[in-house]
Amino acid sequence: MKTSHFGAVVAALLVQPHAAWAQGGAEGTTPLFTVNLGTTVWTGIVFLALLGILWRFAWGPILQAVEARENGIQSKLDEAASRNEEAARLLAEHKEQLADARRQANELIAEGKAAGEGVRTEIEEKARAEAQAILDRARAEIGRERDQAIDALRRESVDLALAAASRLMQEKLDQDKDRELVERYLTEMGDGEGARA
Amino acid sequence: MRPLDALLQGGGAGAQGGQEADHAQDAAHAADAAHYGSEAAHGLGSIGEIPDYISHHLEDAREMEFAGLHFDLGAFALDPIHVGGLTIDLSPTRQLIFIFLSALLCIGLFVPIARASRTREEGKAPSGLANAMEALILYFRDDIVRANIGRDGDGYTPFILTIFFFILFMNLLGLTPFGITATANLSVTAALATIAFVVTEVAGYRALGPAGYAQTIFFVPHGLPAPLKPVMLVIMAPVEFLGKLTKPFALAVRLFANMMAGHILILAIVGMILVTQSFVVGGVSVLVMSALMVLELFVACLQAYIFAMLTSVFIGLIRHHAH
Repeated sequence: MKTSHFGAVVAALLVQPHAAWAQGGAEGTTPLFTVNLGTTVWTGIVFLALLGILWRFAWGPILQAVEARENGIQSKLDEAASRNEEAARLLAEHKEQLADARRQANELIAEGKAAGEGVRTEIEEKARAEAQAILDRARAEIGRERDQAIDALRRESVDLALAAASRLMQEKLDQDKDRELVERYLTEMGDGEGARA
Repeated sequence: MRPLDALLQGGGAGAQGGQEADHAQDAAHAADAAHYGSEAAHGLGSIGEIPDYISHHLEDAREMEFAGLHFDLGAFALDPIHVGGLTIDLSPTRQLIFIFLSALLCIGLFVPIARASRTREEGKAPSGLANAMEALILYFRDDIVRANIGRDGDGYTPFILTIFFFILFMNLLGLTPFGITATANLSVTAALATIAFVVTEVAGYRALGPAGYAQTIFFVPHGLPAPLKPVMLVIMAPVEFLGKLTKPFALAVRLFANMMAGHILILAIVGMILVTQSFVVGGVSVLVMSALMVLELFVACLQAYIFAMLTSVFIGLIRHHAH
């Protein structure tokens, strides 16, 4: 019963649709497989109106925004790439500058060291020479002072001796002759001293 | 609303036992009895009524049922307009209501998204529904329009997008409870195909110029001997011209047939339940219908996609026309 029903339904669908669907229904219905121009016109109007509205208020702004975003992202990527390049360039430059600065500093230090060494030796040399000069001057001074002192001492001794002798011998003695005698004696004595020294 | 629609909802909502289906049937019977008399309450009398029953549900009509309410659109009927030999009846029908509904859904969905994407802060990523729709829109621009029409074809993106979403919503609305499938009407698909045809030809004319466009119909290959040229033209010009017309015809019939076929299948199964009035047939039928509804959901998206993609393929073909 059921299978026969099913078969009959299929058969009815295969055989009858044309008859059933073409005849149309009640007033105002449109049978399948027929074109109701009114609906077609309405569809066209609605579609065109929808197209216009969506174009103006939806697709246009959305596509514009999307495109703007795409361009923004692209330009940002480009910018990032160029900045990266710039940074790499700057880094290389800075490294080079740093190396240059280090080299220059080393040079300066070496130069400074050399200069310092020169100055030191110069100062030492000068100091030594000055010290030597002072020493020499002092020695000469001492020598002169001693000579003067010896001269003075000798003169004083002669005077003392003469005074003493004149006291002892009074006027008996010729002054000039006596003086000569004493001086010869003193000289001999000085020579004897010098020979001893 | 017939008992069938109550069952269709059951089928769409998921697999249900025969008992539930029967229950829904009874409830629907009770609700409908007021409108259609005792005849409807007892199901269909014989198999012979099934085709009538199916066409009643698929046909366009000036009456509409929604959630047990009955609306008579006949009150708003307009006098037919006569243009030349054609009679154009612009009276509102239930499919027309769903055409408008689909258009309003498109506007209601995309205009706020556009507003959101326009007012979004600079440098902030889109999110949520707007993001999903933007991805879809970008897919259409990059992989449908640019791939088929070319990079300079960006101007056709809004047209292709409108075609896709308009058809998609009409298809999907037909699957909702109490929904009417406007695209299961040849009048509707023919209008869409005609627009696609006009846009295609205008695109060809704009890209090729008058001489180039004429060549898409009257084409003589290089190196053809002079005596053969008229023969070639006489034979090939009608073929080329018919070739232009078959594309929109195929578009219209493909969409119409696909959307109608699934509904006929489901209605036939429902009719079977009504005829046999059997728990076993009802249970099995509901299972089968659930599977079919899932398939229909897929077909609804697929056919909208195919219509949009073929339209862009046709536009691309004619713009790069060269034999």
